[in-house]
Amino acid sequence: MKTQAEPQSPSPTVSAKTVAACVAAWLVPGSGHLILGRVPRAAIFFVLILLCAFVGVQLEGKLFVPQENAPLSRLGTLGSMGMGVPYFVLRYAIEYEGNLKSASYEYGSAFLLTAGLMNLMVILDVWDIGRGTKD
Amino acid sequence: MPSHFLYMTLYALLVSVFFAVLWRRDRREQLRLFLQIFLGMVGGGLLVAWLMYPFPFGPPAPLL
Repeated sequence: MKTQAEPQSPSPTVSAKTVAACVAAWLVPGSGHLILGRVPRAAIFFVLILLCAFVGVQLEGKLFVPQENAPLSRLGTLGSMGMGVPYFVLRYAIEYEGNLKSASYEYGSAFLLTAGLMNLMVILDVWDIGRGTKD
Repeated sequence: MPSHFLYMTLYALLVSVFFAVLWRRDRREQLRLFLQIFLGMVGGGLLVAWLMYPFPFGPPAPLL
């Protein structure tokens, strides 16, 4: 006979708002948090990720694109695409590629890739907040 | 004039602020995590640079 009630596991739900917030978070860094009402955090992520991408471009780093016979370039592309619209603006609108001869090329590449990876983690944070597993 | 140390510090600053805001909610805990990550990255970078100092990149120096 049980004397204590068993702790109930939380049953997080996924709403359409959560999914929309995740998509928005991918497209524009910080917008997912904005939709969920986390305005200060949205502003911080927006500034941080765009600043990271901006510094990467200023340092003439590499913007990853898929290359044949280079499987890791696909991973790098996926990571960089995490920054959403800024990636596609850089790649297609500005046709930015980076400058291999620049002294800061490697640093810039790290900044650009990090911007994408940071936004991917922000999307996971939005997902957790939307499901109610995080405040 | 490009500075490796400046780039490294700027990178550490951005990443440490990001993780502090992402992983912590309380202001004091955010500051604590920020300092841990920032000092860990900058200090770790300097430590690795110091350890690599006796091993310069390139061919070995000619023996006299």
